[in-house]
Amino acid sequence: MSELIVPVAVLALASPLVFALRKRVAVAAVLSLGALAAAVVLLVLAPESRGQVLSLDLRLTPLARLAAVALLGLLAVIVADVWLDEPAYNLFPIALGVGAVVVAVLLLVSPLATYAALLVGLLLPVGSFTFQIHRNRSVEAAIRHFAFVSLGGTIGLAALALAAGLPHDQPQSTFVLLVVILYVAFALQLALIPFHTHAALLAGEAPATSLALYFGVLTPTIVIAFAEILTQSGLLPSIVQLAKVQDLLLGIGALSALGGAILAVGAADLRRLVVSSVIADLGMAVVGVGTFSGPGLVGGITIALATGASATQQLLAAGALERRAAGGAPRAARAPLAAATFVIGGVGLVGAPPVVAFPGHFFVELMAYAFAGWLGGALVLATLLLLLAQLRMAIVLFADGLPSWRPEPRPVAGVLGMLVFAALLVGGIAPDALLRPVAAFAEEFLRALRPL
Amino acid sequence: MVLLAAVALTTLVANGASRLRAMAAAFLAVSIAANAIAAAAATVAQLAVLGAAGLAASGILFVAARDRDYGEDPEWRLWVATLIAAIATPAAFVSFRSVDLQAASFTLLGSDRSDVLVQVAAFWLLSSGTAILVTARSAVRTSLGALLMLTGVQLLVRLAPGPQLELTIGIAWIEVVVALVGAFLIVNERAVRE
Repeated sequence: MSELIVPVAVLALASPLVFALRKRVAVAAVLSLGALAAAVVLLVLAPESRGQVLSLDLRLTPLARLAAVALLGLLAVIVADVWLDEPAYNLFPIALGVGAVVVAVLLLVSPLATYAALLVGLLLPVGSFTFQIHRNRSVEAAIRHFAFVSLGGTIGLAALALAAGLPHDQPQSTFVLLVVILYVAFALQLALIPFHTHAALLAGEAPATSLALYFGVLTPTIVIAFAEILTQSGLLPSIVQLAKVQDLLLGIGALSALGGAILAVGAADLRRLVVSSVIADLGMAVVGVGTFSGPGLVGGITIALATGASATQQLLAAGALERRAAGGAPRAARAPLAAATFVIGGVGLVGAPPVVAFPGHFFVELMAYAFAGWLGGALVLATLLLLLAQLRMAIVLFADGLPSWRPEPRPVAGVLGMLVFAALLVGGIAPDALLRPVAAFAEEFLRALRPL
Repeated sequence: MVLLAAVALTTLVANGASRLRAMAAAFLAVSIAANAIAAAAATVAQLAVLGAAGLAASGILFVAARDRDYGEDPEWRLWVATLIAAIATPAAFVSFRSVDLQAASFTLLGSDRSDVLVQVAAFWLLSSGTAILVTARSAVRTSLGALLMLTGVQLLVRLAPGPQLELTIGIAWIEVVVALVGAFLIVNERAVRE
């Protein structure tokens, strides 16, 4: 039994314990934060990079270590926000369960096992999506999410099982079909356009903190899992020989980037703006992966991680602004720090300098132009539309002006959002810390693409 | 062949059931038939895990119903799902067949060592589950569709190389999680309706 499994075990065992204590909010929150901190320490100090649990291989790559620490950090931010600002006791055990799954997905080497763990992680947040069920459509939104994730999860597992079992001398059409099914499975889970209707309903009905769990923590995990599964499944050498399979991936990505950006421009409220911006950014990340190039892959994974952080920042701020508005239109005057956090969170989602999302967007757009002019043009247009959407919402938020620059009482979402932004800023100033582990993975991906 | 027919018939019964408790019982029958059809390709430990998962999933749905009348009437969706499954199963088998038809030896009773029947059953369950899931109106049939699809995935995983017992345990856990999430949504949905 490898020591690498210990962080997963800590989080997985803490989850039922916290579930039992969930109504004692302070105790549950402190235990959750303790378990997340312990898992981060264990991952940072892990002496070995390879291990085995039963017959399943585990590997702690530099990317896995970086992504696990970043995503567990985001989970800690969400837990702290729920504890201090928006008590929702269901979220603590779910956050720990999601944490265990995220670490397991990043450590596992077998594509089927990775995908199975991912599916469990995507099902867990359903428990936190429903709230005040008689006043809203949160149950309907949760059911739709359940249906989309179950469909994507099972067809993806079936495609991977078939890919592993099929003899090598397959006709091209069989192979194309399998890869298309796998792409659709991931598109369903990432809520890429045109498979985004569950995300649109969730954005309007689910609590902001649950949305942060899905769009901030789980969607970056799906993008990384997608790239890892492609690498580990042995499908890459065949994929690269079929131009139409690559075109499909780039097409889904570009459609989602442009469609998400257009939805963001028309978004009527803060949460819909964030969710649409995330869909657009995930589309760009998929284009990055789909270019099958080193810079594209580095850019795609960087975008996914930075988008998760910025989305968490904006969603927590949006929740705080909505609560302060008490049913009215959210305005900066009622929560200046939360509003400021929301606005600067947009910098990360647009991919503007100086935050770490910038090199990601730069690499992906550069590779998209190298691939085809229309593709690069579509991504630049999507970025401009996102900028417009974020500016428009900032103007709406500050439309009534500010009576004073003094932060609101208990500025929890504002302070936590500023912490996330500071981390993104540090990453932008010293991008090597983030980009080097991602580049190491990109190298591995390229080796799998063209094996000697 | 009898076992394949049992998988098909129990799936149709589950698909046609308008009450959740009947649906849960029919799903247990699907799970047992699917395990029996692939018994030759599985160890005793795998069969025990799968049996426990099927029992747990159907038990969770049975309890979530709370009374014997609660459910969702499939109406025309039963026929659409059956038609889609009938068309998609042979198409999927032709496209993704990973077993050798020449080596197939069909017997009326007992499992098929060439795995042709296992793969046909898997595609039938996957296509039936997809059709049920896509046409579902509530959490009741959504849960059934997802569970049928996972039963199909279990059969396919058994034909794939890799750590079999670990993957079987993993997918059995997913089955239980899907049933729990489905039950949670069924209870919430009922609370909203009532």
